[in-house]
Amino acid sequence: MLRFAVRRLAAGLFLLFVVSFVSFVLLSVPNLDVARQLLGQSAPQHAVDAKTAELGLDQPILARYAQWLGDALAGDLGTSWFTSENVLTAIGHRLPVTLSLMLGVTLVTAVLAFLLGVWAGVRRGAVDRIVQVLGVVGYALPGFLVTLVIVLVFAVQLRWFPAIGYIPLTTSVPGWLSTVTLPILSLSVAAVAGVSQQVRSSVIDVLRQDYVRTLRARGLPPGRVLFRHVLRNAAAPALTVLGMQFVGLLGGAVLVEQIFGLPGIGSMTVTYTTRGDTPVIMGLVMTTVVCVVVINLGVDLLVGWLNPKARAA
Amino acid sequence: MRIRRFPTAGSAGVVAAALVLAGCAGAGGGAAGQSDPTLDIATMTFPQSLDPVTAIGGALPFFQAAYDSLVKREPDGAYSPMLATGWTWDTDRTKLSLTLRDDVRFDDGTPFDAAAVKANLERFKASSGANAKWLSGLERVEVIDATRVVLHLDAPDPAYLYYLSDAAGLMANPAAFADAERLKTTPDGTGPYELDAAQTVVGTKWVYRRADDYWGERLPFDGVTMTVFDNETAIVNGLKTGQIDTAVVQDANQQASLEGATTLTTTPVDFDYQGILLFDRAGVVTPELADVRVRQALNHAIDRKTMLEQIRRGKGAVTSQVFGADTVAYDESLDSYYAHDPEKAKQLLAEAGHADGFELKMPRMTSIVSDAIAASLQSDLADVGITLTWVDVDQGDALRRIFQDREFSGFVMNNGQPATDWLAIKDLVLPGTFNVFGYTDETVRSLVPKIQAAQAEDALDELRALNRHLVEDAWFVPFYRMTYALVTDGGVTALPQSGMAVPSLYNYQPTG
Repeated sequence: MLRFAVRRLAAGLFLLFVVSFVSFVLLSVPNLDVARQLLGQSAPQHAVDAKTAELGLDQPILARYAQWLGDALAGDLGTSWFTSENVLTAIGHRLPVTLSLMLGVTLVTAVLAFLLGVWAGVRRGAVDRIVQVLGVVGYALPGFLVTLVIVLVFAVQLRWFPAIGYIPLTTSVPGWLSTVTLPILSLSVAAVAGVSQQVRSSVIDVLRQDYVRTLRARGLPPGRVLFRHVLRNAAAPALTVLGMQFVGLLGGAVLVEQIFGLPGIGSMTVTYTTRGDTPVIMGLVMTTVVCVVVINLGVDLLVGWLNPKARAA
Repeated sequence: MRIRRFPTAGSAGVVAAALVLAGCAGAGGGAAGQSDPTLDIATMTFPQSLDPVTAIGGALPFFQAAYDSLVKREPDGAYSPMLATGWTWDTDRTKLSLTLRDDVRFDDGTPFDAAAVKANLERFKASSGANAKWLSGLERVEVIDATRVVLHLDAPDPAYLYYLSDAAGLMANPAAFADAERLKTTPDGTGPYELDAAQTVVGTKWVYRRADDYWGERLPFDGVTMTVFDNETAIVNGLKTGQIDTAVVQDANQQASLEGATTLTTTPVDFDYQGILLFDRAGVVTPELADVRVRQALNHAIDRKTMLEQIRRGKGAVTSQVFGADTVAYDESLDSYYAHDPEKAKQLLAEAGHADGFELKMPRMTSIVSDAIAASLQSDLADVGITLTWVDVDQGDALRRIFQDREFSGFVMNNGQPATDWLAIKDLVLPGTFNVFGYTDETVRSLVPKIQAAQAEDALDELRALNRHLVEDAWFVPFYRMTYALVTDGGVTALPQSGMAVPSLYNYQPTG
């Protein structure tokens, strides 16, 4: 298991390097004229040229990448061109917001999707059909529509929750809960719908396996068959989907963060990418890759624990 | 002034009720019915840094909290003393003498004096800030004594008091200039508030607390929070739920969604206008535009009234002039100078020898030119035989292609209308900024020196004549002034600021 984990970590580091280089090059291709954006349309050309030099944008791409990589390895991701904020500090302020959503949605999804999926897979019949219909509806509803309806009903009309803003967990646990509940609810609709269908299919597949029939024939209690044998095998594909959902939320939470005015890295990514704020975007890319590597490693280890055969893959 | 009322939700069950109560207490407001002394402002504009050399109009309140300016600009645009107690011009208006307060100190004890003014103005001029060009005509700053300073200009500039009441007049502690990086995030001024670094999240939320030893008149709020959003939906929801005290809402649809909110007060703000900023009057890129009749035809072809109704729900006023209603040059009769008249446009084109029309290429920045605007303009111009071709460009690319490469004859943009006539003239009429081809004519050449050498009020005839000339000669193709909504909740009143889209920080008062 340790060798497996080390192998995955090494691959993750290589991925980090490759993605950083490709991202840097891609960011350097469009001529966004950052200096003019910073100084405004009416700035004289000599001032724009001076700003361009100040930002190092008059240097070749490889020289700039080497400079960035050297600083990054020393723990310095630079300063935002547009807000003068230290990139590490900026991401440090925003990452907990998005992580709060990701963890909340994953938790809600894991519980509800597994309950619904197992219920539908085991009971079949009308229950199965209802869960399937709910799954399709939940998945088909446009995310922005679900979010807008939720915020209008529960925040603007009923005033049960704040419509905007974020309170850090360290400031107030109830306050944090009040500010993340509606965003998590908004994001969970599609996630629960998708994962519950995956769980249902996996449970049905496993229930049809010969060894399950054998276990039943040997007289094992249905609960023991289900929880010890069926779910253990059915969980692996569902966990993979859940892991993908988790990773997808890193960028997929943009809309929800914008509507709820949450200062997370999703909305940050959109805002800073539009401006071409390379130091911040590179910091965000690195953060995302690290998250993806860690999450995938976690999922792989969990799947490997559930199904030892997967470790050999 | 935040007043929170999140009613309990018994029907939602124990968990929801607990969260509701937690939300009420935890989100920072007082209990229902109570108010706190913090002003919560929402905005979509944020400062590049808190170093005054980077200050720009929409972000000025961020700076006004921590810095004082030499001159204060009142809501109606009038100038009053702040760090400078008085000012006089010499007869040829190239020497501006300022008298300064003698009782103001920065936090570290450094006195605010003439030397500080000289250091700030020279640094502002030498900076790469967006408004550094304002002081390009500043030859030198002469320190007479600790409370007297003379600004020597290379030519008269009627907008100088505006500069000193805006970014160029913000006075920072000269001792802080040695560490410019620190000044970007740690303001060091003499202003009414101090930045609460622990509560501030740069890029998202700036929190200011009252400076207890402030030399001037105390502003009515103990603290000010300015939160930046990237969309108006969140701002409007925050206003409706009382989480935000005030904001300027620009989008017409968002303004409409506020109409039923009885707890909110809306004050119209006219600042930006939308139109084609035409600068190829010599026909460098599009030769047809060199003929004034072609430019007039463009103006007659646009159905401004329908555009305003369809695109902005009628929130605004059609206009044919680029000068704003607060300027001396403004002439109300010029708003309706170009009626929508396709037949007349065709006739003008025919007289100019372009009866078969011509092609006009313009860059399209989707952040400004929506599908509706793009289609409307194409349709209006096609009706008179002009083929409008949109060239899709992203914003950064557009700026380079328009201003550096001079690839287009003009472009559609939302442009602020300053209340100071000379600012509009410098930006739009004189060679430079928005006159990228440097076009001018005899009338402009004869009027501008007279305007430049006088206060705007003393050059009324010349300013009105210049405005009329620009309209008649079709220098531009303005569509309409856009009315924004300055929204406040029941606990706050706010006065719009003449010549700015957002109010100055001094314009807010608690109700009652």
